[in-house]
Amino acid sequence: MKLAKLYAALIGALLVPAAQAGVYPQCPFDVSRNVDDLNRPISHDLDAASGLTLHSRTVGTGSDTHRQVCAHVAGGDGWQMVGDGSRRVYGFGFSPAKGVDEQVMINGTAAAQFPSPTFTFREGDEVWLALTNVGMIYRPDLFDQHSVHWHGYPQASAIFDGVPQGSATVQMGSTFTYYYKANDPGTYLWHCHVEATEHMEMGMIGMLNVLPRQDGAAVTDAAVGRAFTKFAYNDGDGSTGYDKAFSLQLGAIDSNFHDLHEAVQPLPFLELKGDYTQINGRAYPLTTVEAKEEVPVPADAPALSQPVHSVMHASVGERLLLRLTNGSVDAYYTVTALGLPMKVVGRGAQLAAGPSALGSNSSDWKASGARWAHGTASVTLGGGDGVDLLVDTRGMAPGTYYLYTTNLNYLSNGAGEDRGGLMTTIVLQ
Amino acid sequence: MRLNPILQSAGRWLLAAVTAFAGLQAQAAVVGVSGTGGGGARSFNLFAAEGYVSMADGVQVYSWGYGTAGTGGTGLMQVSGPTLLVNQGEVVTVNFTNNLPTRSSILFPGQSNVVGSGGAAGVLAQEAGPGETVTYTFTAAQPGTYLYQSGTQPSLQTEMGMVGALIVYPSGNPLGAGTGAARLAYNHAGTAYDRETLFVVGDVDSDIHAAIDDQVKDKRAANDACLTATSAAAQCVFNADLSKRFPKYWTLNGRTAPDVFSKNNVSELPHQPYNTLPRLHPGERMLLRVIGAGTDLHPMHHHGNNSWAIARDGRMLASTAVSGPDLAFSDYTIQVVPGQTYDAIWTWTGAGLGWDVYGKLCDPAATSGPNVCTHTPAQQHQLTSDRGKPIPVKLPSEFELAYGEFYSGSPYLGDFGIRPVGAGVANTTGAFFHMFHSHNEREVVNGGIFPGGMMTMMVIEPPGVVIETAQP
Repeated sequence: MKLAKLYAALIGALLVPAAQAGVYPQCPFDVSRNVDDLNRPISHDLDAASGLTLHSRTVGTGSDTHRQVCAHVAGGDGWQMVGDGSRRVYGFGFSPAKGVDEQVMINGTAAAQFPSPTFTFREGDEVWLALTNVGMIYRPDLFDQHSVHWHGYPQASAIFDGVPQGSATVQMGSTFTYYYKANDPGTYLWHCHVEATEHMEMGMIGMLNVLPRQDGAAVTDAAVGRAFTKFAYNDGDGSTGYDKAFSLQLGAIDSNFHDLHEAVQPLPFLELKGDYTQINGRAYPLTTVEAKEEVPVPADAPALSQPVHSVMHASVGERLLLRLTNGSVDAYYTVTALGLPMKVVGRGAQLAAGPSALGSNSSDWKASGARWAHGTASVTLGGGDGVDLLVDTRGMAPGTYYLYTTNLNYLSNGAGEDRGGLMTTIVLQ
Repeated sequence: MRLNPILQSAGRWLLAAVTAFAGLQAQAAVVGVSGTGGGGARSFNLFAAEGYVSMADGVQVYSWGYGTAGTGGTGLMQVSGPTLLVNQGEVVTVNFTNNLPTRSSILFPGQSNVVGSGGAAGVLAQEAGPGETVTYTFTAAQPGTYLYQSGTQPSLQTEMGMVGALIVYPSGNPLGAGTGAARLAYNHAGTAYDRETLFVVGDVDSDIHAAIDDQVKDKRAANDACLTATSAAAQCVFNADLSKRFPKYWTLNGRTAPDVFSKNNVSELPHQPYNTLPRLHPGERMLLRVIGAGTDLHPMHHHGNNSWAIARDGRMLASTAVSGPDLAFSDYTIQVVPGQTYDAIWTWTGAGLGWDVYGKLCDPAATSGPNVCTHTPAQQHQLTSDRGKPIPVKLPSEFELAYGEFYSGSPYLGDFGIRPVGAGVANTTGAFFHMFHSHNEREVVNGGIFPGGMMTMMVIEPPGVVIETAQP
């Protein structure tokens, strides 16, 4: 860590003019810097693993009652283990910012997490999301900026979209606070958009969920004759209700790309092809290892860098919401949950429904018209796609079920095994 | 990571961008050719020819393409081919003259009862030998977005560039010239749009092109008898191992980024006349006509907002004949499939940002005095509750940020701010530039150099900025 401290001090001293506050996350209320969570957001086991803290308070009255939410992430570099745990590869990524001022720089050094921390907001939230670029200590020749792109954010402005050409991006040692209103519930991605191919392949991509206002109300889904209190969308009829939700980001790493990156070589963009497919930053069987202490920590990483297992525990009869996204930069994936009935209830952060009021101007359309939700045994996602799936476990036998890509050639870890990669389990009790 | 070639290409990015805006180039209507029409019929004279297309990294790629000399045509082969504009119900005649050193033809997927005459029957279509002409006739029965492509050795010839767009306009919107409520993509009010733009989405393996180039040169150097043979069996056939196909370039309307930003018909891209730079005002509806013209699937992601896909393969996503696109779906990524077309409507209003996107700092409650909000109707697409609110964060100074060439220096639409010395700006109107690109991010490169490839910008122009409706 000596090197990390020196590095952070150098960036703090040299790159940021004295008049600038380098690590300067903005929030409309005092989070007292080290205060405990004021209002821990709704999260499930997979989300909580990243250790991301959201600070929030409730403001407004009547129908305008909503939360103000503040979060702070560090963007930098780090290490992850390849799918079979046999070795580490270099990566870029985000991690929850820890501490204040230069502590954020020091703690963020080489601390990247894979996948990036999952954000779960509620519809109506105002979000102040601060990003500190802590630099890439293992590539000291680089001066790359980072950014946050909320992938799929409706009615986006340019400044908070994170695209380097059309916006402003964050220099090393600096902090930028993004502001969003979470208007549309649904399943999104977020990622760095700077040198997008490289930074996403290196790992700067994660998941972002917005929970609907309908949550908390008991709405009976007539199709199953049972009330739900949690929903994927404001469906009005309980048809997207669920008991447990799981965010699953499909993806892969191309170990050759990462190795060449670490070795300061020209990057083989044309040859990009993932050889270790993953769910939530791990490959099978690591996707199913729930005990953190059993997951290898890569050398030089300050802590476990792949904190998210993907085992989905449920009781027979429960309905599960799978929030699927594809974070790959080179492949389409089709996935199935063998033996379990699935239903597509949304995609693109919209309810699976046609437009309301077809006669109106289409800029005013809402996805509240004819429903096109459909049962299926598979779903296909390209890079940047997001799909909401319900898995109905009524009448299913207890046991372990597998969710995996039906692109069977991807079910491997490098050249090694014929059963690895993009696969995890649903365990019914 | 930054390498010299990337820095070098940055200059080309800025140059292309400045070129695009020097003339305030518009993409309000689809650029194309309408042949000779009247009396319920429309005819085109197309040819196929060889040429070299330019990739933005400077590589010249030997290609085959369609061309036309008529109004709107260039007289040169082009990639993608001339966009054929016709009206629903018209009897369309395409006279096709093959100037390639091998047999060729045209397929019209999505059209029925296509009749070919002249030349000789091939497997999929009536084919023309070198120098021959064949004629295709069909009735454009259904409005929509279609492609046309070679039906002869289609895997190779489509790779070589033999693909283009066919747009059939509903009868109330002749050749896309309808105005107001008549400006429809299909015969239903739910398909109304204000502006339209075309994306012919392609992928190019330049090694295959080079191999064919070598084979053609060899035949010519040897004065091979196949070059002048009149019998189909004796004519030249060129082959590449398509099982090893490995694309190196990814194109929109035949161009790679940043060339997509340059104007239509620029002299430095003689065989790639079509640009891709949609511009629209807040609240306007942009019809995206998206064609999968390559070999791979491409997840095209638009920033800024979701789009509504209203049709696939020239058929409205409709539950009944009269329902209109009630099965339309909203998404932030369009799955572009080889041989498929999509029509999607994309809009942007800025509604719900939580701050006044026009930066007019005022008091919505005030009815008189200096704090009254004086937003124009065009600016009122945003929510009333957002009016007058400043951006809710303090932006760091220019020393802490890197500024994009399309960022005006101000977060507000139509506004400008301080930019660092030396940071060029290619945004002359204070517009918002929202990227439209393949989220198979490996495809936003040119020959392995990032950035480039399958990427462009959708430009939100502030109200009042003139966007031409006619193409120069």
